[in-house]
Amino acid sequence: MEKQSFFNYLRKPAFGWASFFLLTWLWAAWWMGDAFRVTREYSFFAFDTVLMHGIWQQSYGLLWIIGRALLTLYRWPVIGGLMVALLLTGGSWLVAYCLRLRPDSRWHFLAFIPAIAWMTWVAWIGLNIYYQAEPGRTLGVLFLGVLVCAIDAFIIWTFKGRRTTPRKVTAPSLIGRAGGESLLLLLFLLPFAITHIRHPYQRPYTQMQVQLMNEDWAGIVKTAQDHAELSYRPLAANYAIALIHTGHLADALFEIRMDYDSLYLQSYSGMGDVGSDLYTIDCDYHAGLFRAATHKAVEHLTMMGPTLFSLKHLTRLALLDYDWELARKYLFVLKRAPFESAFVKRYEPMLGNTGAVEADPVFARLRRTEPMTDSFESQYEAPAFLGYTTSLMAGRSMDALTQSLMACLYSKRMPDFLLRCQPLVGTQPPRSIAEGLVTQSLKEPNILKAFPQLQMNAQVYQGFIRSNESAFKDRPANARRLFEQYKGYYPYYYFFGNLKATRKRDDANTTGWKAGVN
Amino acid sequence: MKSYVYLILSVIALTGCSPSATIPTSFTETSDSLAIYPDYRDVTIPPNIAPLNFMVTDAAATEYVVTVGDLVCGAGKDGKIDMDSVAWREVLTDAKGKSLSVNVYAHRASGWVHYSPFTLDVAEEEIDPYLSYRLIEPGYELYRQLGIYQRNLTNFTEEPIYENNRTFSNEDNHCINCHNYQAYDTDRMLFHVRAGHGGTIIVHGKEARKIGIKHDSILTSGVYPSWHPTMPLVAFSTNKTGQVFHMYHPEKIEVLDEASDLLLYDAEKNTVRHIFHTKDNMETFPCWAPDGSRLFYCCAKMPASLLGEHTPMDLALRYDSLLYDIYSMPFDAETCTFGEPRLEVDASGIGRSTSVPRVSPDGRYLLYTLGDYGQFHIWHKSSDLYVKALESAPLSGDSEVRPMTGTQEEGIRPLTAANSPDADSYHTWSSNGRWILFVSRRLDHNYSRVFISYFDREGRDHKAFLLPQRDPEYNTLLLKSYNVPELTKRAVQVNIETLKHVIYHTDPDPATYQP
Repeated sequence: MEKQSFFNYLRKPAFGWASFFLLTWLWAAWWMGDAFRVTREYSFFAFDTVLMHGIWQQSYGLLWIIGRALLTLYRWPVIGGLMVALLLTGGSWLVAYCLRLRPDSRWHFLAFIPAIAWMTWVAWIGLNIYYQAEPGRTLGVLFLGVLVCAIDAFIIWTFKGRRTTPRKVTAPSLIGRAGGESLLLLLFLLPFAITHIRHPYQRPYTQMQVQLMNEDWAGIVKTAQDHAELSYRPLAANYAIALIHTGHLADALFEIRMDYDSLYLQSYSGMGDVGSDLYTIDCDYHAGLFRAATHKAVEHLTMMGPTLFSLKHLTRLALLDYDWELARKYLFVLKRAPFESAFVKRYEPMLGNTGAVEADPVFARLRRTEPMTDSFESQYEAPAFLGYTTSLMAGRSMDALTQSLMACLYSKRMPDFLLRCQPLVGTQPPRSIAEGLVTQSLKEPNILKAFPQLQMNAQVYQGFIRSNESAFKDRPANARRLFEQYKGYYPYYYFFGNLKATRKRDDANTTGWKAGVN
Repeated sequence: MKSYVYLILSVIALTGCSPSATIPTSFTETSDSLAIYPDYRDVTIPPNIAPLNFMVTDAAATEYVVTVGDLVCGAGKDGKIDMDSVAWREVLTDAKGKSLSVNVYAHRASGWVHYSPFTLDVAEEEIDPYLSYRLIEPGYELYRQLGIYQRNLTNFTEEPIYENNRTFSNEDNHCINCHNYQAYDTDRMLFHVRAGHGGTIIVHGKEARKIGIKHDSILTSGVYPSWHPTMPLVAFSTNKTGQVFHMYHPEKIEVLDEASDLLLYDAEKNTVRHIFHTKDNMETFPCWAPDGSRLFYCCAKMPASLLGEHTPMDLALRYDSLLYDIYSMPFDAETCTFGEPRLEVDASGIGRSTSVPRVSPDGRYLLYTLGDYGQFHIWHKSSDLYVKALESAPLSGDSEVRPMTGTQEEGIRPLTAANSPDADSYHTWSSNGRWILFVSRRLDHNYSRVFISYFDREGRDHKAFLLPQRDPEYNTLLLKSYNVPELTKRAVQVNIETLKHVIYHTDPDPATYQP
């Protein structure tokens, strides 16, 4: 008897709506929360006609502005998710009303299909919800859908609703209803599955981006290491940034896979894109290459119009340049954006105060790797954070040298690496650098004379070579198998990691072309 | 529909800042310095300029009253003074050739205070009513939404002359630049379209056509233009331009020419020929004298070390050794031939470089920018406006006649009152020669804005003031730069739809090259 009551309860319409609401909230706040949070960062909204003019002039500009306005609530994903869940649930209720899909109808599940279709679309486009795309598009489309349903419902309610007798409903068979509900459940899993299967990098990447915004370096490291098997450039880029700030670049860089699977991304033009814009500005900035970061951030501003992402970067870069008036301008614009007071509060006191700029711990860390002398970005292979760093001849600090050495190791530029190891003679090099040295010790026996303390490392290295002799015959096939055993070990990366880059460099070397840094 | 909604939003955004204003009857004088933005203190203004709306900043004040002559205006806590256009016009008309005193009263908790007044000198001479310019993000390689706009200087109306595609499209993306007019009139104008739908748009009255200035002998296509004042001729430079980005330098970017020549284009015959076609010299920025009898231009000699084979990067690494002088040469309108070049400004002789020569409408002054090197001075903080007396014109003023730097050169001086420590460049004269408009990055070092300076009959420049906007904060919020300000006596006649049709739906008519 009790059991029957429970099932009856489950059949109550309110339970269905509440379940749908909670599940969509879960999806929008937890599963997609970080993705929308980052989308908000790549967006900009203000109640200002000058600032919104560019977006207003675009086709469907008003819709995108509404989408951007809704996106501002994703300052807190729980709140933003709540808004999305309300729109999805309310929209579904309106669909049910317009199509007269009564809760006891076997076709009632159809009311949820548009909402699930929207979720599936959002999942399908992945990071293109903001990457080189209009960030207000997804929520703008959702808003439009709900609005159309609301208008339709209003018309029905006004002209028909009160006079129409309810459509006669034949009670669906148990199988019919169960079929519909099962199908609904399956469809609801679709957006989760698509993100998980088609865009496995999306959730860890957006999580890292949020951690980057919060300067949660340890969090980024943990996220990257929790997903060490995933191998995508944006993940590796954020991981390297976090290691710079935690001081573990030379210890832990190779603890994640770096074979770089393809991202499902489209460029502005709708063509496939490798996604370098996802990390170039951040990497240039955190490598201390402020001019290169400014160059890219301004180009981002040009292409996307103002975004919180570009405005915040440009503010910081202007402060680092002691360009108070320019920083003041960007802060003035950011003040117009809702919920950005924390950023303004942190950086506004630095205006006109060089001491405050230099005292900022992040700025101080980045300053240590800023170039010492001028040169041109185009003198180096792109991207600058690798091309410049691997060519570094004089640095401000040991941090700059470490970055340069690690960039050489990452790029497998061993002659450049060895050249830059001279200042380390007589010291105990950090882990990856020591392993890089022993990787070359068979070719260059003098290395062990200069670094006699690495004898033990050399023996371990020889053991690695011996025990994996067979794996060397087909390195691409064995790379994945050996990763778990050797993750973090530089000789493994040197021989088995990032092989696409290695091949590219080999090709480049044969043609004399100097590009190819991955 | 969009325009209406936009207009309503604009009105909403701009109202509510002007409470009814009456001059306070009791107040105390304050010795605090008055903080207003833009800085319109003690400037000379045209009698037909739009209201100089400004914003007062006084942390302790809750409302303001401002008087400009007989005009009284109030502002709320935001301090934005939005003057009534009709009253402003009357005040300026009455004050022609006189000074106006501007009084600012601020209401603090302790009562009204009165700041020391400042003056606005109203010149006798009007400024041409239309200013056209390009608005574009100060980006480097990429562009998205940009347009050429026309501002009515007597009010705040800004209208697009042409805007590129608003939404990204592989086929339709295009850049527009280098708009230019013949003798301050809009009957003949031109501008370039680059990338998609490329060509040069030649406008005659309400008609427009697209031409192509391409030939194996021509470096690229027509670039910096100058209409002959009376003939249907355009002098173009053709430039092979590149840019490099500094990694650690006070300047962010260097834009330099690898090569450049001068061309003469006949808009009626659609023919083009070289004026200069040299390998060792780089000629650029042509400018006709107002009577069309001479052509001024900039020219740099290729550094000796780069005369042989070299890569663009070799040149880029010598960026600070490219020094441009200004030359002029006579033009025979009958035969369409040029005479021998004459050195007008020897900047390289003192280790500096000139750009953008512009001759005053009376032919007496040569206005140009002088910087440390190169010709793309808008990215150089060292860039300042200089003027040279071409005839026996007076050059007096607050700043004495003095050399560019180092050695004395007669009749040349910087426009000290108008210049700033930041980049001041791309200047133009008003048709009566009394006003100089130029763009400057002085406000925030990055976004160029239009400034106006009075150039009096004695050849003296006056403090420059920012192009007025209805909302004083407009320039702070605008994330685009003003490029190439050009004054005209009347509005552009060609319709934007005509231009769109020509750009999107016609192929360029190739100009015939005459060796």
